[in-house]
Amino acid sequence: MSFANRSKRRVLVTGMGIVSPLGIGVEANRDSLQQAKDAVSEVTSFDVSRTRCKTAGQIPDDWLGNKLELSRKTKRLHRSSHMMIAALREALTSAATPNPELLVAATSSGGMSNGERFYRRLLAAAPRRSNPELVANYMPQKPVLDALWAARIRAPVQIISNACSSGSNAIGHAFELVKAGMHECVLAGGYDPLGELVFVGFDSLQAATPEKIRPFDRHRSGLVLGEGAAMLVLESEASALRRGVSAVAEVIGYGVSTDTYHMTQPNPSGIGPRMAMERALRAANAEAGSINYINAHGTATIFNDATEGLAISALFGQVPVSSTKSMMGHALGAAGAIEAAFCVVALRDQFLPPNINFRQPDPESRFQVVANRALPAKIERALSNSFGFGGTNASLVLQRV
Amino acid sequence: MSIFIQGVGAVTPLGSSAGETWRMLCEGGYAPRVRVPGRMADRDYLYCPLPAKFMKAARAPRLRRSSALSLAGATAAFDAIEDAGLKVGPELGEHCAVIFAICSGGVNYTRRFYDEIATQGANVASPLLFTETVFNAPASHVAALLDFDGKSYTLVGDSSVGLSAIHFATQVLATDPGLAYCLVVGTEEMDWLVSDAFASWLMASRHGQFEVYGRRTGTVFGEAAGAVVLGREHGLRIARSSAGGPFFSVREAYRAAAEVLGEVVSSGQPDLAISSANGTFADEVECRIFEDFCDAAPVYAYKAALGEALGASAVLQAVFASLALRTECLPGTLSAGTRLKRVNRKTRSIKGASRALVTTIGFNQQANALMIEN
Repeated sequence: MSFANRSKRRVLVTGMGIVSPLGIGVEANRDSLQQAKDAVSEVTSFDVSRTRCKTAGQIPDDWLGNKLELSRKTKRLHRSSHMMIAALREALTSAATPNPELLVAATSSGGMSNGERFYRRLLAAAPRRSNPELVANYMPQKPVLDALWAARIRAPVQIISNACSSGSNAIGHAFELVKAGMHECVLAGGYDPLGELVFVGFDSLQAATPEKIRPFDRHRSGLVLGEGAAMLVLESEASALRRGVSAVAEVIGYGVSTDTYHMTQPNPSGIGPRMAMERALRAANAEAGSINYINAHGTATIFNDATEGLAISALFGQVPVSSTKSMMGHALGAAGAIEAAFCVVALRDQFLPPNINFRQPDPESRFQVVANRALPAKIERALSNSFGFGGTNASLVLQRV
Repeated sequence: MSIFIQGVGAVTPLGSSAGETWRMLCEGGYAPRVRVPGRMADRDYLYCPLPAKFMKAARAPRLRRSSALSLAGATAAFDAIEDAGLKVGPELGEHCAVIFAICSGGVNYTRRFYDEIATQGANVASPLLFTETVFNAPASHVAALLDFDGKSYTLVGDSSVGLSAIHFATQVLATDPGLAYCLVVGTEEMDWLVSDAFASWLMASRHGQFEVYGRRTGTVFGEAAGAVVLGREHGLRIARSSAGGPFFSVREAYRAAAEVLGEVVSSGQPDLAISSANGTFADEVECRIFEDFCDAAPVYAYKAALGEALGASAVLQAVFASLALRTECLPGTLSAGTRLKRVNRKTRSIKGASRALVTTIGFNQQANALMIEN
């Protein structure tokens, strides 16, 4: 198939699943978005007495334990496996049991909390033999394979770890494969559980805030972390027609850039985010003016919001923008997948998800922040941004069907 | 659309380049074993370290505080770029994607950072360490050294992740007409924690050596990096790559490997095979798939010489497969047991060989294969 013919193929979202601090399942998350729920709370799973930041968006253990109806064997798995199992199960069910040829997953830290327990046990007792179960569940591929096993699917797996842009990269790569006719149906998404090492890492960088997370606010002071998982079923139009399933949205563009200015800080000019968004628009054959909503990366750090804000202002002007991280924190490798799923919900149900804890606009930003409550709106196209450590930037363009 | 391996690179305990390593392997070289530093309990492990003098990329200012993982990855990457006859500059930066294959990641920095948290408190943990713990730190550093702003991906997985990354790179080239090259790098550094973790699975040997295709004693780890430059013309053609196949228990490994290998070998029988045998269950699975799917190809297993380098190992296999076809020489497998008759025991000429198979059985549930041809 030539590159020209490939550009005519449509890539549909025929199913999805979301597990986040805002709820288990797409509809629970939609309700929380519309109610502008604040799901950030005091961290309980590890000691935060010596960190500046003490809060995160957390999925209560009883949600994962009770609401998922897990088998006895699955119950023993790590909570990141539970998240992946739930997200994949919902995605497959909502897409009427597709036949995926590949799973492209994303994570930034995998089962790091198992590694932390492994290390603390060694420090405390230096046991004669380390715990093999902790080792097995530490591997980033394990929750993905657990979810496949639970769903009885034997598709090959590719796991992208591009820090905080991983989730968007996974969906973007899957989109390009289906668009190019190399696959008919690909599962794509990501997961990341909250863990002590990463939490302290962001705290040590002073990127995490002891206050509320206030993306794009003039007085923003940093991010809070979150956790979760989301999976999307991406399918060619021909495959969806053949199976008789309807789409909830369409992915029409994906753009990436690498900003090598610094490991943890973006180029202040905003060139990295801008190039990713421009490339996504070009891939979508779309004008900036056709975008009705942007789900921003919006971590609420001084530098991220300044550079992303600069790029959005320059490219889009007065577009409605929100960062849903304000409600559930930053889910790192899962964030791009969760936020793409939020865009699908916004396109499907025609509303703008809110940017909560917002008080005062940043004078540098020209766009319209969807402040503090969801708004009904006519949305045909949405853009989702994810930017990560190491300068990885990814943007997705999604369209209503 | 044909994709070619245009250049190969490596840094291993035996050489600061792919060429030097290959020459040493053909001469029967055996990487020295030393005790893994950082012991935390009453047990020692041996490993094959990368000599610091081999890390040519350490001279780059950007890498002055980075981990061995990044230094090795960058060294192998520049070796592959040079081997491909390419020059670092805007032309390459504009038309190249970078794909990294990682297993344990920056485990030295991760351990140091978490140790500070656990022993001294979260308030004293150093942010300088944290930034090097992210899986994509090596990819970011190499992208910066290439002065590049395009596609960069880091794939994580087990010791088969390198082949997954090569397949991923073929997908990236096939879907993006603006790209001319894709640089694939696999890299690994070692820490006592990794050896101890694998020992808990009965997959790491406490001794300095192990047999391949013999007694299952567990493996010995090594540090290394391998790199290949993929392009659209010239070089060794990738006849078949695969996204791999998962298996959910060791019992299922043969079925997964057979499915993948059956698909890859359908493009034609190999003249030689570079295997992932490492003294674990993988050896038995490979014995069976070679007997069932490959007619008579001699098999070379390098890990007894260099150690199991996890994230780097499958890319290194692809590097060695390319060099075997180029030099028409296949090294003898060191410490070979008796379970696989066709294992190549002495270095020999393979004049006329034109197809090389690479197989990997990952320790954590992935099997994969690759066929390249001259």
